[in-house]
Amino acid sequence: MIPLRLKSECDRTLAPFVTRIAEEEPRCAEDATLWSEEAGTLGYQTGQIKFRLSDVAPAEVAGDVLLVDPRRQIAHRLIRAASPHNTFLITEQCDQLCLMCSQPPKPQHQDMFDHFLAASRLAPTGAQIGLSGGEPLLHKDALFAFIDAVFATRDDLCFHILTNGQYFERADLAWLRKHRARLLWGVPIYSDNPATHDEIVGKPGAFAQLSPNLALLGLAGAALELRTVVLRQNAPGLPSLADFIARHLPFAATWAIMQMERIGYGRMNWGRCFFDSSIDFASLGAAIDLMRARRQDVTLYNFPLCTVPPAYRDLAARSISDWKQKYLPACATCSLRDDCAGFFEWYREEDGFMEIRPQ
Amino acid sequence: MQIWPLRFRDLDDQRTILADDSGAYFLAESGFVDRYARDAITPPEERFLREKGHAFEWAGDLAHTGFLTRWSRRQHVGGGSAYVILIPTLRCNLKCSYCQVSRAPLAAQGFDWDSETLQKVLGFLDGLPVEEIQIEFQGGEPFLRLDLLQAVAAFARRRFQRVRFVVCSNLQTLDEDILAFLDSEDVLISTSLDGPHQIHTRNRTADSALTKNFLSNLERVIGLIGPARVSALPTIDMDDPPDPEDLIAAYEAFGFTSLYLRPVNYQGFARKSHPAARTSTAWNAYYRGFIDTLIARNALTGRVMEEFYLAHCLRRILAPGLDGHTDLRNPNIPTGANAVIDFDGQIYPSDEARMLARIRRVNLAIGNVSDGLDQEKLALLAPGHINNFDPDCIHCPYQPFCGTDPIDDLSRSGRIDVPRQDSWFCQRHLAVFDLAMELIYSKDPAVEFTLSRWFGLETLPDALRPIAP
Repeated sequence: MIPLRLKSECDRTLAPFVTRIAEEEPRCAEDATLWSEEAGTLGYQTGQIKFRLSDVAPAEVAGDVLLVDPRRQIAHRLIRAASPHNTFLITEQCDQLCLMCSQPPKPQHQDMFDHFLAASRLAPTGAQIGLSGGEPLLHKDALFAFIDAVFATRDDLCFHILTNGQYFERADLAWLRKHRARLLWGVPIYSDNPATHDEIVGKPGAFAQLSPNLALLGLAGAALELRTVVLRQNAPGLPSLADFIARHLPFAATWAIMQMERIGYGRMNWGRCFFDSSIDFASLGAAIDLMRARRQDVTLYNFPLCTVPPAYRDLAARSISDWKQKYLPACATCSLRDDCAGFFEWYREEDGFMEIRPQ
Repeated sequence: MQIWPLRFRDLDDQRTILADDSGAYFLAESGFVDRYARDAITPPEERFLREKGHAFEWAGDLAHTGFLTRWSRRQHVGGGSAYVILIPTLRCNLKCSYCQVSRAPLAAQGFDWDSETLQKVLGFLDGLPVEEIQIEFQGGEPFLRLDLLQAVAAFARRRFQRVRFVVCSNLQTLDEDILAFLDSEDVLISTSLDGPHQIHTRNRTADSALTKNFLSNLERVIGLIGPARVSALPTIDMDDPPDPEDLIAAYEAFGFTSLYLRPVNYQGFARKSHPAARTSTAWNAYYRGFIDTLIARNALTGRVMEEFYLAHCLRRILAPGLDGHTDLRNPNIPTGANAVIDFDGQIYPSDEARMLARIRRVNLAIGNVSDGLDQEKLALLAPGHINNFDPDCIHCPYQPFCGTDPIDDLSRSGRIDVPRQDSWFCQRHLAVFDLAMELIYSKDPAVEFTLSRWFGLETLPDALRPIAP
């Protein structure tokens, strides 16, 4: 695993600050330059502040944007310059309790928008940054203000926002239209049957709220990525969901069908939720066939290639973020490994896919 | 609940096809229309209409927004790329009985671009507001003027970011220079293969030795550049059409997996020598029989041959976004971006339009390479290329997938306002779409096999054939 937090020494009395590790010469006041390099420890300086990073090589952090927390002696790697997978955790609060949630909600909220704004301004040119939670739109006013503030100076950036879609309102239309080219909304829909969707997200009435809000995104011309985690609860209904998407959500830019991540509630509920698509791809295949016939885009996330029949492998993306991705010992001899999403770090073979076959 | 307007057409005694303006279709037993007209549909039918997106509760709800999207995509025609047909020469080394362009003899003078016309053609291409272009060389036989093809290709490769050339050639003669031209990945060949040897000879070469030349040239070209860059189509003479099995076998023999059955175009020489091309009954019957044969054969062999036009129409039924075909919309959106530039520098909105000018039926030129496009004429032609407001088409469930062909109407009737059902275009396409719908709703495994392969699917989803309860 690639570490997202580094041990960092600096004056504990300082307030948390955002800095960028300069790749060569510093380009702005926030850039930090290397001034010492000892065994296992790098010394950096930004302005008058000095701090150290442990167990990392200069090249690994070059260009990274860090949030240094002096009190806890930690540096959060908010943006890793070499990675396409950078996400700001907006909040850990959520109004849904999804069966497979990989990031279970917590009641308290810590407002980090000032740090995220500072970090965004230091991001590499043209970067896409994920905004996730919890449910980011629980803090909609602050979130929208943050996005406006970022785009005011950095209109080269774009955000991929994961939201449960419960909090859009008609009054948001103009704002959504204004930023439509720079925001990609990832919104989960688990079934076209409201009862099934509500059961999976643990919130009665969720589908009834989601439906008109998706229409708002459509009317705004927003870029919409529908996301469906395959579970035992919704797998048989995927062909019906595909028909629903083709008819009612044709404005979605893509439909991502995703495999489960065995962490958080996903680990707790693995036994009753994990759908082994390696031994039964029929409902997935039927859903994909319909999307192909309707010329709508569909993507498979988190599916190891050998679990997908050859006719659908071109849809399987290398979707697992680099820092939590792994391969199995069996993958060593596989010819498809370089194109394969592989597995989540916390995947377990004993209760995972039955059919893992190096190709 | 509000239901979007439905159009309908009986598929047979018991079954009716219905569709809304977005092209969403379904099948119902024939009593449905009665109940729909009397505002007396049943609760299960209401539920069906709501689920399938034919109805909505309030403007702006998800069903309404989904419908608007599907409707607007049916209207939208993608821009950004050009499709230009160039006729560097009208001369040809063959004299096919059905020649639609009334080609000029090999030795004739004054039927080629001169160097000034070439420069103006390049200037016209240069001025197109696109970075992507497909250039089709028609004739005559374009390879008679390989030098002009080379000049256009060299220019276009510099000027455009993405470019593709299609040479519509009879492949009657090849030489080293032609083969060298074909060697580039961006060059495709489209040729005519009318089926078995004797039919090809009768229709096209009038000489068995010439047919032999062609067949060996075709084999050589496929061997050189592969079957993916070569396409062929048979033109069917309804006075003596080929046996479908023989025709398919002739295509399989060359490794083709797709063919495009074309009726004799009622243009050019065909007007005199193929009077049968005027009527659609025989064509429609032959076409249906051919498709039956093709589907049975695919099931039997496990190999899949595609009839391009039916597959194309089927794909259009299933989804929007496939609008680039002149047989369905002629002229296709009349702008300079899909112009035809004739041997004399005249610009036409479509290939058939130049043919009408050639026989002096009507001059549909929309400009010339010296003076540019005639915006007034373009504006005059523009309303004729869509079927949305045609008084007959608005009642037809196939309207969202279908097109219109005022050029063919002009050719056959001298006017564009003939009742649709009397036009060859409408008769042909009603038959094509009726057949397409029958196939979509067929439960015959042989049909399902062919359709799923044509669509690139493993199985044919049931959701493609909704049936009202």
